[in-house]
Amino acid sequence: MQRRDFIKTTLAAGAAVMTFDSLWANPNQLTVESTPDMVAVKGGAPAQMLREAFKSLGGIGQYVKKGQNVVIKPNIGWDRKPEFAADTNPELVGELVKQCLQAGAKKVTVFDHTCDNWQRCYNNSGIRGAVEAAGGVMVPGNDSSYYKEVKLPKGVKLKSVKIHQALLEADVWFNVPVLKHHDGARMSIAMKNYMGIVENRPYFHSNDLQQCIADVCTWDKKPVLNIIDAYRCMLRNGPQGRSVKDAYEMKALIISKDIVAADTAAIRMFSQVEKIRIEDVGHIANGEKLRLGTQQLDKLNIKRINI
Amino acid sequence: MKTQVPKTIRIVLATIVFLLSTLFFCDFIHRMPVAWHGLMHIQLVPAVLSGSIGILIFLFLLAVLFGRIYCSVICPMGILQDILSWFTRRGKKKNRKKRWYHYTRPYNAVRYTLLGMCILFLTVGISTPLLYLDPYSNFGRIAVNLFRPVAIGGNNVVNRIALLFNNYDFYQITIHTVTTASLILALAALLTVGMLAVWRGRLFCNLICPVGSFLGLLSKFALFRVRIDSSKCNGCGLCAKACKAECIDSKGQTIDYSRCVACFNCLDRCTKQALSYTPPALVGTGLSRPPQSAVNRNRRAFIATSTAMAVTLPLIPVWAKGKQPADATQLAPITPPGSRSLKRFKEKCTACHLCITHCPMQILKPAGFNFGWEYAFKPHLVFYENAFCNYNCTICTQICPNRAIEPLELPEKQTTQIGIAQFDVNLCVVYVDNTSCGACAEHCPVKAVRMEPYQGSLTLPHMYPELCVGCGGCESICPVRPVKAIHVLPSAVHGTAERPQEEEVEQINADDLDFGF
Repeated sequence: MQRRDFIKTTLAAGAAVMTFDSLWANPNQLTVESTPDMVAVKGGAPAQMLREAFKSLGGIGQYVKKGQNVVIKPNIGWDRKPEFAADTNPELVGELVKQCLQAGAKKVTVFDHTCDNWQRCYNNSGIRGAVEAAGGVMVPGNDSSYYKEVKLPKGVKLKSVKIHQALLEADVWFNVPVLKHHDGARMSIAMKNYMGIVENRPYFHSNDLQQCIADVCTWDKKPVLNIIDAYRCMLRNGPQGRSVKDAYEMKALIISKDIVAADTAAIRMFSQVEKIRIEDVGHIANGEKLRLGTQQLDKLNIKRINI
Repeated sequence: MKTQVPKTIRIVLATIVFLLSTLFFCDFIHRMPVAWHGLMHIQLVPAVLSGSIGILIFLFLLAVLFGRIYCSVICPMGILQDILSWFTRRGKKKNRKKRWYHYTRPYNAVRYTLLGMCILFLTVGISTPLLYLDPYSNFGRIAVNLFRPVAIGGNNVVNRIALLFNNYDFYQITIHTVTTASLILALAALLTVGMLAVWRGRLFCNLICPVGSFLGLLSKFALFRVRIDSSKCNGCGLCAKACKAECIDSKGQTIDYSRCVACFNCLDRCTKQALSYTPPALVGTGLSRPPQSAVNRNRRAFIATSTAMAVTLPLIPVWAKGKQPADATQLAPITPPGSRSLKRFKEKCTACHLCITHCPMQILKPAGFNFGWEYAFKPHLVFYENAFCNYNCTICTQICPNRAIEPLELPEKQTTQIGIAQFDVNLCVVYVDNTSCGACAEHCPVKAVRMEPYQGSLTLPHMYPELCVGCGGCESICPVRPVKAIHVLPSAVHGTAERPQEEEVEQINADDLDFGF
């Protein structure tokens, strides 16, 4: 046998085995042609768009198994009402809690290391109300005693970081940011949302913010999905917004396991309304360099849903 | 009326008032209804300083109708003393002899001098003597600096245990607001009042407390008072042994009404039913009159008091002069929104520390003597990580019983300029390291700090001071150490910031948009 043939055959056999293996291991996937790398939904209500997206993704059961301890990390950074789009949409978070519990999760906890007073943020963002109504638990993130040291061997500037223990103990977690403009990092989406799981944020700011954001995303416990709330987006004066006029009803939702791709897609969507250059959002390119994902959206299998 | 009824009513009311006040002062989870602050407004010194005429009339009528009821059911410090002497079983029948109270003469010279001093200083706008002597403010400081930290410590222990079981029903609270100075003052007050209470009942109220002395002057003329029916009294002295104000002279069958705090402990102690709490008409012959010798004593006290005041008076200008900071560049405190100006706040605040408890951001801290003796123990704003003045909060302005912090509606608070941020570009991370930061602009609720194009994709902070409200968001988060690149300079007189302009945005219909990728 020639070398070339050998390689061809091996590759073919390998691919066949892998396909067979995945079919065998996961009979659920037989019903879906192939799970898309990204699902984008437009034109619906937050909860409705999430339900539609999960249909394409093969159901929440693909991500949450019975008896699991689930953590949802929305952006609840600011003491603002939902209309400001400074925090993740409460309806979306509530629906996700509900779905996780329906999938048999033992416990669903929600937290953020807020920038403003945590109780005011939790309450006024509407997230506490939505989470507790759906049967989830809000966990405080206000004190350093909740955070435990974790090593980041792949980090460039950030070699270790303290992460909230709820997340360390979780079986799976969802990263659920809101799409918004940000004065510091330029955009605050899925990667930037990681800054709410750590204790010492000033370190990021004084040690190359854009690199540190990418570094913290190299933590080996990745979210099972990045769910970007673009129902309302903050177009300018982020991350807090000066008035509700800074918010824009995009009525969209972007979901992907690939955090770089998710942020890239979100920025392209955002740019249709408010121009932003992706090169300026330095942490995205830094993330790609660290192999966290790809900005090449055309190489991905994207499912687009219009409601 | 049964003799124990007034006492029972007193104890029930006092218990309610004490519990509500203590809970409101110690409320570290901010769960108590804000409306409870009304309880603090009916305190005498706050009513005087806030100029609440209605409350002053009410307290005046209360005293001239019923005596010093205030001291027994409204003043939390009075009730605290009762609790302490109750625990140590002072004045109880079954106790050994030395645990009984005995009649003593009043210390008029001391108490009226202290009262006069407080009033005199107040007339020239100095509340400092009141700060140290006012029972309400002292109680507040004891609760906030001693009781509250103990409660928080208990909470944290419970929280640690709960965390071991992955339970987040509690949360960790770090104590930021107790300083060495405030701790020492509160401890000194508790020890002084506590020891006096255990030793001699209500001695604090009849020796030191200016509120007690003032109400004593009114309650001399009270309509309802404890009266001795001399036809029934056999001078056994049981009532005097139970009197924590030490004001019943059973041998002379007289009561010093300026010192009686209307606790009614004496009423049911009398085996002859000679004591009653009644208006004058109901007791015909038994009306007790002060003996002649008392008049002489009063005159002597009056002379002593007047002399003491005459000596104090010339001191005031000297003290007042001392309050001016020697150096104009001396660091000044940032006063809470609603306090209007440093001068006004200094005059009105008696450091009860109620605002310190209720600030959700825990940025109000009692000062030491670093801003001069006149600002000592009064709260000022301190910004530290994740702690700055919340843009949407007005709680301190709502609850201040002295109106040292005037009530502000949210729109007014959001433009009240308590200070102005100063930015030093030479220290800024963006300028020094050439990396992104923008933490200050991120935290600014009014965009008085904005990130503007700098080099390449970098942006640099730029100040718009006319928009700045001095909330300290920028200062709290600036990562530069040890000196921050942005910090708030206090406004000695609070200004008004411009309201941020709302930008008009062209409306693009989201339905017309594509996904964009």
